Amino acid sequence: MSLLTIENLTIGIPRGSAAPLAIVENASLWLQPGEMLGLIGESGSGKTMLCRSLIGTLRRRGAAILSGRITLAGTDLAHTDERAWRDIRGRRVGYVPQSALAGPNPVMTIGAQLREAILQGTPGADVPARARELLDLVQIRRPELVLAQYPHQLSGGMRQRVMIACAIAGTPELLVADEPTTGLDVTVQAGIMQLLRDIRARLGTAIILVSHDLALVDDVCDRILVMHAGACVEAVPAHAAPRHPYTIALNRSRIELAEPGTPLVTIAGQPPSVGAWPPGCRFAARCDIAQPDCRLGPHPPMRGEAHANACLHPERAA
Amino acid sequence: MAMPERSSPDVEQARSRLLKKVTARLARAAAVSFWVMVIAFGLIRLAPGDPVLARLGAEAAPEAIDRLRHALRLDVDPATQFVEYTWGMLHGRLGTSIETQRDVATIIAESLPVTLGIIAVTLAMALVVAVPLALAIATSRRPWVPYLFRATTSVMLAIPAFFTALVGLIVFGLHWQIAPIIGYEPGFPANLRFLWLPALVICTHLVPVLSRVLHASLVQTRGEEFVETGIIRGVSRLRFTWFYLLKPSLAPSIVLLSYMVGVMIGSTVIIETIFSLPGIGRSLVGAVINRDYPLVQGIVLVFGLFVVAVSLAGDLLANWLDPRVGAT
Amino acid sequence: MNEGRIGIAVGATMLLTVVAAGIAVPLLSEFHPNELVAIPFRPPSREYFFGTDQLGRDVFTRVFAAVHRDLGVAFLGVSIPLVLGTAIGILLSLATSRVVAALTTSLIDAINALPLLVLAIALIALFGPGLQSIVIVLAMTNWARYARIARTRADVVARMPYIEAARLQGYPRHRILLRHFVPNVSAETLAYALSDVILVIMLISGLSFLSLGAAPPTAEWGVMMSEGRPFVQNAWWMTIFPGLALCWAGIGLSFIAEGLSRRERGAGE
Ligand SMILES: Nc1ncnc2c1ncn2[C@@H]1O[C@H](COP(=O)(O)OP(=O)(O)OP(=O)(O)O)[C@@H](O)[C@H]1O
Ligand code: SF4
Ligand SMILES: [Mg+2]
Repeated sequence: MSLLTIENLTIGIPRGSAAPLAIVENASLWLQPGEMLGLIGESGSGKTMLCRSLIGTLRRRGAAILSGRITLAGTDLAHTDERAWRDIRGRRVGYVPQSALAGPNPVMTIGAQLREAILQGTPGADVPARARELLDLVQIRRPELVLAQYPHQLSGGMRQRVMIACAIAGTPELLVADEPTTGLDVTVQAGIMQLLRDIRARLGTAIILVSHDLALVDDVCDRILVMHAGACVEAVPAHAAPRHPYTIALNRSRIELAEPGTPLVTIAGQPPSVGAWPPGCRFAARCDIAQPDCRLGPHPPMRGEAHANACLHPERAA
Repeated sequence: MAMPERSSPDVEQARSRLLKKVTARLARAAAVSFWVMVIAFGLIRLAPGDPVLARLGAEAAPEAIDRLRHALRLDVDPATQFVEYTWGMLHGRLGTSIETQRDVATIIAESLPVTLGIIAVTLAMALVVAVPLALAIATSRRPWVPYLFRATTSVMLAIPAFFTALVGLIVFGLHWQIAPIIGYEPGFPANLRFLWLPALVICTHLVPVLSRVLHASLVQTRGEEFVETGIIRGVSRLRFTWFYLLKPSLAPSIVLLSYMVGVMIGSTVIIETIFSLPGIGRSLVGAVINRDYPLVQGIVLVFGLFVVAVSLAGDLLANWLDPRVGAT
Repeated sequence: MNEGRIGIAVGATMLLTVVAAGIAVPLLSEFHPNELVAIPFRPPSREYFFGTDQLGRDVFTRVFAAVHRDLGVAFLGVSIPLVLGTAIGILLSLATSRVVAALTTSLIDAINALPLLVLAIALIALFGPGLQSIVIVLAMTNWARYARIARTRADVVARMPYIEAARLQGYPRHRILLRHFVPNVSAETLAYALSDVILVIMLISGLSFLSLGAAPPTAEWGVMMSEGRPFVQNAWWMTIFPGLALCWAGIGLSFIAEGLSRRERGAGE
């Protein structure tokens, strides 16, 4: 029984009488309790939009769910009103936003923000004890000091740890971390990744980790979902060989990156931008093995259970 | 777990930085106060011609002229005058009114509460109206709302307060007879009966200014990333409105408000005259018409120091409410 | 952008109508502003559009005879401090003596701390009531606001890279000053001057209303309103029509100022 299932989810921007502008199309994924899923794709591929649908903040950016289903342990998240969202946010879904450095409220002390998150997660909780516990969990030393400080007095890594502490304050079943390490330097990044693994191990929280970095995600996650131009193209178990030409290309560029002396290989071309998606597979223009039938009909859906792939010609992919 | 680290270097550092900032602000307030003193002092002395002759007229008897000159201490050299003036001021002595022979400090002490009452009622009214108004406009989704808001406030700001006051007197005082046209009764809440209309009139300027600034900073706050954090955490609507919208937007409005108190004092001068309220502003107009220089000097001094104090308080309050103000 | 243009158009139309009426009405009217033309307190009629006042003068003629006075004094009352303040602000920004700069700055702060109306009233005690005194008083006090704006702007300009470049290329000092500082800074102070005109018009009529500005029988809006005030219950037209003229001009200016600032912001985005 999976914790989260997303089926054929289409997210777009309603445009009055004109047809809505699709940003994510027919996305599907599932997640087991306690599983850690990496979500990768180039900038603009719709990762954040997909995540936002899990916390109900699409409308703030003018977007909406156009079709499809989201089920979190029996609860329908695709048709939830604002009131019901309040019971889900912080309690069942924790969220670390993409711009975590600007995430904490600048006019509240860390203590006040933790208190807020704790009481939202578990009304009537023993706030001081729980706050210490959480800060300990995210490995913040000198909690007394930090609790009295304002966000601008903290380093980026510390701010991110605080944001994570707030997100898990209500021991949610699902934690969504949207690029939690952008803007942080490499050693701090590694610390945050370790922290997410710890949280999963100690609390059994299922985690969706968004990233640009295939190598990083491959290291820490159980499975990886790859997005390209608003579509899910492959769901591959960690350490398994990729089968979709896009993932293969991403993977190759990463390997060549790792070997000193070889020239940097990046994927040629740009993904088609929102509103200008061609028919058929949206990777076709960049794909070495594209066939005529790739450019026909709707974008191919992912097929397969443990290792799902949306490529029409997997046998040709090397 | 470690013991609370009360005097860790970070805390010490932050505290000393804050202290430095507050000290610098206090020093600025002191410098400005000094100049205010000098300006009030210089008012009579810098006058072209002879203030004594201006008051008594050219045909006055020489003894009378000498007596007034002596009473105003204009017969000693300016440096001595300034020392005497400063010394007296530090002891609460502001001189004696030429017109009534009464102590200037006493006159001010009698009339200042009325003016402060007007300001307090005006501030309360303006906040009650401007804050919800700015919030409503900033959260409205209808595109014409901000246009209407800007046009309306432009119009309101261009209508002089004394015209509004006269219209208010005609409508509320004479026509509907729900506001007294004349008279005053001290003490709260009896004075409210006399203060609400004057306060309302000043609000026709204060509300547009305040709600505009608040609206602008709300719109800015609304676009900031951390606002989303409030939603993500699922905080209640009330908490969200206060901690994620209003509080981060307040600092500029408070600084503005403390500045506007000075502007409001200016309008109380006219408003008090129109509504015949025995405030300090009406005393000033009377003193000017009578050329009662010690009284003019005292009132200017008190007004100036009051404005300096309020703007200091406003800056400190903004700093306290929004730690970002102090950090940059 | 669009909103800005509409604001400017509406505002300019309003201002132009009042200016045009201010020129045309005194020329075409059969009455002199101070002439006793009818019995006092005649309500508005086809003969006397705005009625007559307590002496039997034609309010309509007087309201528009006042235009050139109110707007003219306001123009003087703004332009003198504008020029003075801009110059002082720029000089202050370029001043090499820290002591002089610090002293002048706190003097500017002190003048700005005192409410303009309070300071103006106090100074009128010295110069005596009159429109001339108002212009002098404004020149003495209001420059400080312009100086503050000019100084802040000049400090920004001084740090701009092209100024540095001009300096390195060896342009003479006065040329840098005239070609770069003056236009750049005065754009800022001019923008403020536009909204300041409204405040100054209010100040002039307000002071006159308090009998500290123009004196009867001068046709001036504040004076007329003050003369009408005792009779406001029965002869409201004496007060309301000059007041409306004042509002009309003020709203026109306000729309122009708002429109210009909107347009500027739109262009900047
Ligand atoms: N209101 C909108 N109108 C039009 N397009 C939008 C709107 N909001 C988002 N988009 C587009 O939707 C696409 C997906 O955005 P999203 O933020 O989900 O990408 P992402 O995968 O998270 O990228 P990044 O790695 O840069 O965070 C982007 O191309 C963006 O330009
Ligand atoms: S479907 Fe066709 S174009 Fe798309 S990845 Fe597979 S082979 Fe390439
Ligand atoms: Mg994103």
